[in-house]
Amino acid sequence: MTAAIENPLLPAVAAQARPAGWEPLRVRAEAALSGQDWPSTRQEAWKYTDLSVLKAMDFAPAIAAAVDIGPLILPEARGSRLVFVNGHFDARRSNTSNLPTGLRLLNLASASGLAHELGDLAGPGPQAQADADPFAALNTARFRDGALVIVPKGMQVEPPLHLLFLSTQEGGQATCSLPRVFVVLERGASATLVEEYQGQGRYLTCAVGEVLVREGARLDHTRIQRESLQAHHFSSLAARLERDARYDCRTIAFGACLSRSTPRVTMSDEGASLVLDGLALLGETQVADTHSFIDHRFPRCTSRQTHKIIADGDALAVFNGVIYVRRDAQGTDAQQQCRGLLLSAQARVDAKPQLEIYADDVKCAHGAAIGQLDPEALFYLQSRGLRLALARNLLTYAFASDLLASIPLPSLKRQLRTTVLARTNAENLEALP
Amino acid sequence: MLSIRNLSARIGDNEVLKGIDLDINAGEVHALMGPNGSGKSTLGKVLAGHPAYEVTGGEVTYDGRNLFELAPDERARAGIFLGFQHPIEVPGVSNASFLRLAYNKKAEAEGRDELDPLEFDDFIQEKISRVKMDSSFLDRSLNEGFSGGEKKRNEILQMCVLEPRLAILDELDSGLDIDALRVLGEVVTGLMTPDRALLVITHFPRILETIRPDRVHVLSAGRIVRTGGMELALELEERGYDWLKAEPAPAGRA
Repeated sequence: MTAAIENPLLPAVAAQARPAGWEPLRVRAEAALSGQDWPSTRQEAWKYTDLSVLKAMDFAPAIAAAVDIGPLILPEARGSRLVFVNGHFDARRSNTSNLPTGLRLLNLASASGLAHELGDLAGPGPQAQADADPFAALNTARFRDGALVIVPKGMQVEPPLHLLFLSTQEGGQATCSLPRVFVVLERGASATLVEEYQGQGRYLTCAVGEVLVREGARLDHTRIQRESLQAHHFSSLAARLERDARYDCRTIAFGACLSRSTPRVTMSDEGASLVLDGLALLGETQVADTHSFIDHRFPRCTSRQTHKIIADGDALAVFNGVIYVRRDAQGTDAQQQCRGLLLSAQARVDAKPQLEIYADDVKCAHGAAIGQLDPEALFYLQSRGLRLALARNLLTYAFASDLLASIPLPSLKRQLRTTVLARTNAENLEALP
Repeated sequence: MLSIRNLSARIGDNEVLKGIDLDINAGEVHALMGPNGSGKSTLGKVLAGHPAYEVTGGEVTYDGRNLFELAPDERARAGIFLGFQHPIEVPGVSNASFLRLAYNKKAEAEGRDELDPLEFDDFIQEKISRVKMDSSFLDRSLNEGFSGGEKKRNEILQMCVLEPRLAILDELDSGLDIDALRVLGEVVTGLMTPDRALLVITHFPRILETIRPDRVHVLSAGRIVRTGGMELALELEERGYDWLKAEPAPAGRA
């Protein structure tokens, strides 16, 4: 067996750049990877994720490049932004001038002194995932930097925190970055976080996020994947919710020729509540794969999951979502829904919602609906003077609008609406709500 | 304004219209009555251009143009309006934005100025009070969760905004209580001018007490079998539709 996955051109990380507390974890991931080949489409979980292009790629060492972040600046987060370019922290483009005292928003490599606080995060969640997902393991074995967010006890953070990960290709060669994101909300804290991936040309992003929301804390997390259409994007998320914690997470995917998102959320105490939404907007030959796992381990937790897919051209979207309700998780209230909108005859959505319930006193529901634009609604709009193309755009936009409406930053909401409208070839629909 | 000659149409294998002849002139109000399944709604949808119906024969001219050469949206911008029997719910599209979009598309086609959101807000407030609708309905998604009556009010609000030359109202009365029917009937009547026309499709003569028709047509099994004045509507109220089958239609075109 070839050890293809340990492509020697992937960035090797200098030992001093790694937080010492993470060494055992890193060593374990390295061992897990050793001798492992790339996942194959013969494996059920990777059935639709064809990695042949990626396997043939040669990666140039990713260097810090000059990029223009102007259009990506969110006014609300002007002074609470970290920027990474090709995996390197970019201090000049970052701006942390507007942070409340005590909040930590910094790059990991400069935070090795905090390793003991991070120890908690290396719980069973991320590691279990790392074992199952070679891309998560690759990140754990090789990550050189990333973002660290620690919101202290009881702090209500006003400005949204913006993490921006940008990639470029290097000459004619692809690059690779392995960003790591750690987020901790201590007891009773609350914050809004935007995590965004963008780039140009051919590259691989292999990201891992770990989120811990402690007792009574609240995190609103928007993850945006707007990678270049030649990029490969892999993103694992492991979140743990403690007692009465609340975590609202929405993932919006527009980019990449191939992307895979694997969120895994564990209810690790009573009364936690989760919203885990997704929106994928795909065209051409894009493939977007979402494998989610919501683990109800404790009583009286609530989860709501709505995953929406708009697929045009020859695009393929996969949704495989598991809600796992353990025996002790009485009083669980879980709902999962996948909705697909097909805009062309060739586009495909494969939806596999799954409930596994081992408790007897629970309220759980799931469903999947995949279809085309409603011809009656199209005719209704046309009968009011809207051209067919405009009517289609309006209905397509409407399909995505509730998810976009839930984004708490007005500037980001506007930006993403524009993106959706541009992707649906809309006429000027700026006036829409 | 509208001239229908020997029109036949089908949906799937079902021939619904089997030779309709009808002329509507500017300034006229026509009522189209008939039992369930007689083809009343089909005629409305065919005139508006519903893609599920196939025109199998005959011709229709609107202002001298072949209506079937126009796409549904072109017909709308040319002044044809179909008030739906069952208005469609469109989640995610706000009523106000939709109304403004529809207004501006028509204004653009007619070379008039489009309205920005503030101007449109002034414009719509007057219309919405005319149909006695609460302005909170403007912020809601188009027809989503509206009651049957609220949907009909919203149809007439759209009619007020678009000011069509030829309005076809398909069972405006279904889902409306008597008071609401009178209010909307008066609004519709108030929109009539000498260069506009109305085709009111209904089962029941009550709506015709407010929207007084010049001509009443009775449709049965895809054909117009009687044409008369208001007295025909009243006769139908008294006798129902069954007698029409027993008595042969008088000779001559409707």
